[in-house]
Amino acid sequence: MAIAVEMPKLGNTVEECLLAKWTKAKGEPVSQGEIIAEIETDKATFEVPAPASGTVLEIFFEEGALVPVFTNICVIGTPGESAAEFAPQAAAQAPAAAPAAKPDVEARPAPERAAPPGGAASPRARRFAAQHGIEIAAIRGSGPNRRILEQDVREALYSNPRRSSLARRRMAEGYEPAGAGTGVNGMLLARDLGEPGVALSRMRRTIAERMRESLAATAQYTLTSSAPAAGLLAIRRREKARQPDITINVLVMFAAIRALERMPELNAELRDGKLYRRASVHLGFACDTERGLMVPVIRNAQTLSVAELAQAAKSLTNLALSGAISPDDLAGATFTVSNLGALGVESFTPILNPPQVAILGVNAIELRAVRRQERVEYEDRIGLSLTCDHQVIDGAPGARFLRLVGECIERIESLSGLQA
Amino acid sequence: MSGIYDLIVVGAGPGGYEAAAHAAQLGKRVALVERGRTGGACLNVGCIPTKAFLRSSRLFADCRNAQAYGVRIDGLSFDLPAVIARKNRIVGTLRRGVESMLKRAGVEVIRAHGRLASRRTVAADGRVLEARNILIATGSRPAAPPVPGIESALDSDAILDRPEIPHSLAIIGGGYIGLEFAGFFSAIGTEVTVFEMLPQVAPGVDRDIAARLVDSLEKSGVTVRTSCRVTAVNGETVHYQDEAGKAQALRVACVLNAAGRVPVTDGLGLEEIGVDFDQRGIRTSEEGRTSAPNVWACGDVTGRRLLAHAATREGVVAVNNMFGRRDRIRYHAIPSVIYTHPEIASVGCTEEELQAQGVAYRRALVPMSISGRFLVENEGATGAIKVLAGARHGEILGVHAAGDGASEFIALAATLLETEMCAADAAGIVFPHPTVCEALKSAILQVL
Repeated sequence: MAIAVEMPKLGNTVEECLLAKWTKAKGEPVSQGEIIAEIETDKATFEVPAPASGTVLEIFFEEGALVPVFTNICVIGTPGESAAEFAPQAAAQAPAAAPAAKPDVEARPAPERAAPPGGAASPRARRFAAQHGIEIAAIRGSGPNRRILEQDVREALYSNPRRSSLARRRMAEGYEPAGAGTGVNGMLLARDLGEPGVALSRMRRTIAERMRESLAATAQYTLTSSAPAAGLLAIRRREKARQPDITINVLVMFAAIRALERMPELNAELRDGKLYRRASVHLGFACDTERGLMVPVIRNAQTLSVAELAQAAKSLTNLALSGAISPDDLAGATFTVSNLGALGVESFTPILNPPQVAILGVNAIELRAVRRQERVEYEDRIGLSLTCDHQVIDGAPGARFLRLVGECIERIESLSGLQA
Repeated sequence: MSGIYDLIVVGAGPGGYEAAAHAAQLGKRVALVERGRTGGACLNVGCIPTKAFLRSSRLFADCRNAQAYGVRIDGLSFDLPAVIARKNRIVGTLRRGVESMLKRAGVEVIRAHGRLASRRTVAADGRVLEARNILIATGSRPAAPPVPGIESALDSDAILDRPEIPHSLAIIGGGYIGLEFAGFFSAIGTEVTVFEMLPQVAPGVDRDIAARLVDSLEKSGVTVRTSCRVTAVNGETVHYQDEAGKAQALRVACVLNAAGRVPVTDGLGLEEIGVDFDQRGIRTSEEGRTSAPNVWACGDVTGRRLLAHAATREGVVAVNNMFGRRDRIRYHAIPSVIYTHPEIASVGCTEEELQAQGVAYRRALVPMSISGRFLVENEGATGAIKVLAGARHGEILGVHAAGDGASEFIALAATLLETEMCAADAAGIVFPHPTVCEALKSAILQVL
């Protein structure tokens, strides 16, 4: 018994597909599963397999026709069987020659179709053209309404010496087309190539992998608040000449350590479904180096005075900057502080360094308006951005910790013993 | 006929007339405004007339040298008035050819002085013509260097119609114009001295190649004085400072001013409509645009490459861009030729330019005598061809040749540059045997 082959629906939003190519002609035998046609959506090319073995009795559309989904495109059966009953009811767009098998269907003119946005070329054609540095406007389209198909661009590429001898060699070295060819007849010249892609350094690859893993394997969210910075600024002002290494960042780190002592659930590691609270604070701090981000670790930071903390941070920073830091000094942190305040950042979303469960971002100190009873006063406040892993730290405990850090910052003069 | 033109071209030289015809072939309505003769400097007083002269002087020199080829010729003489008449006949034929080509293409030729009244209108002797685009192709004229008495010297236009062969000739300027006249006059028996301010004649030509040209010219009796500044021309006496800075004087029968050419930018109204230009010419982009919208320029008036074929290409590029066909001119692959004996033909960077740019390169310098055909054709002559290629990939960066025949095969070298051909790929191109251009093949094989 004859059966019809439908244009498949290849996606929820696909209303019609382009019949790019018939691989079997009318009258040709096919066996089940054999490819009978190639169809093209805006995103990809697909093959249409024969649903049964038999002979192609009738083909309803020519190559290049845009066919609505679930419309019969051809009929497979035994020679002699009638295919007329399967003829599609509505004329699809631009079947150049009316199919012989539907004499009973009243011919209706296909509605005039507006050119697709971005020019009459399929997205695949445009992508292929961009990848190969071909100016698409110069190509004659073979699709309906002269729509330019990937196949047309491909033919344009191979029918001409599209790349100069030099451009071909450069491309073999990794240079890629950055635009359409500007040589004779649109030939792609060396000047039309952009810079080659640069392979990531090992360190960059590690950072990339860690960051990706972090975003993929945790449920991180960021809370932002601010704290009064008067104490930080006062200490910095007083100590700058004598102890220049006691920076705002060191003081914030000191405040964070004090907060972690009171809320040790954030000084923890989450591994394989188990949460390990750590008694000691091994504090990581983000350090911008020429080779990329490094996070040196200050061990047992809870035991250090501000001056000792400053000294430890300073020497680890120098090691990181010079590239002489040992891998041991870059591992084992239980909590991390990252400071972008010096660069004027007002708020950001620090990315967790698993298995840690929280990271504190330090922002710029800004003058902000604060209500005090009936008055509005201006106050220097430091911005804080805390990222937590929601797997183990809910929003409220995260917020409580952030408030605690703020309070420690507010009381930093007494906490650090560096009062006036 | 009234109404708006798609394009008005001002100047009917090889830049202007080819652009006008091209636009007309694209179906555009085109007017070509020209105050003088169709064909510009190239056809009337430049490329074509001088080539007619040089053909005759070459034939004369060959005949004098015929014995070397086993041919005896007696009673040889040079008839300059007949040479001028032949030149005029050829120029006339070509000019009529251009005029009928313009007519066939449907270009309206307006005989008037064109001035840009605005960015959209051209005033042509009282008429005001409106256009969507204006292409300035007014060309260049012989430069008058700031030398007292220079006005008494002949310029390259005037000397073409002077029927007497001077006994001696001083040529001020060792560029291609001066050198071609030096070659012509020395071949027909004139005692020629060339004065060049720079340390090298044929500036812009690769040094090794220029040196071979100087050798040949000197062998044929031309005196070449480089690093010499002409300080005054007093009738038939040329006063100059020699290489050592010493004041000298030379008395000759005739003085030719060949100190280059300057763009014709005056009387066009360029300042008023905001077209950016200076004494070197109108500034243009690779697409032929000037700083003013709808106003384009091509040819010598841009001061970029003072060559007819560059002008033609610039004009066509401008027309393509003004009517929506993206195009650009690739200056690095424009060949140039000096029609001396031997011919000098080159395209691309010279070795000195590559050194100045710090480009790593490979180099081959091959004598023309490597080609059997060259030996057969050029009894007693020498020549050389230099090929420069990128050090890493071997792409051809420059080809420079001294030797007759070079002007015909330099287009092949230009193709190699246009297509960024690397020597390894060019090595697969078959050159006919025996030909002079086999020397080019040889040089390419040496930079593989």
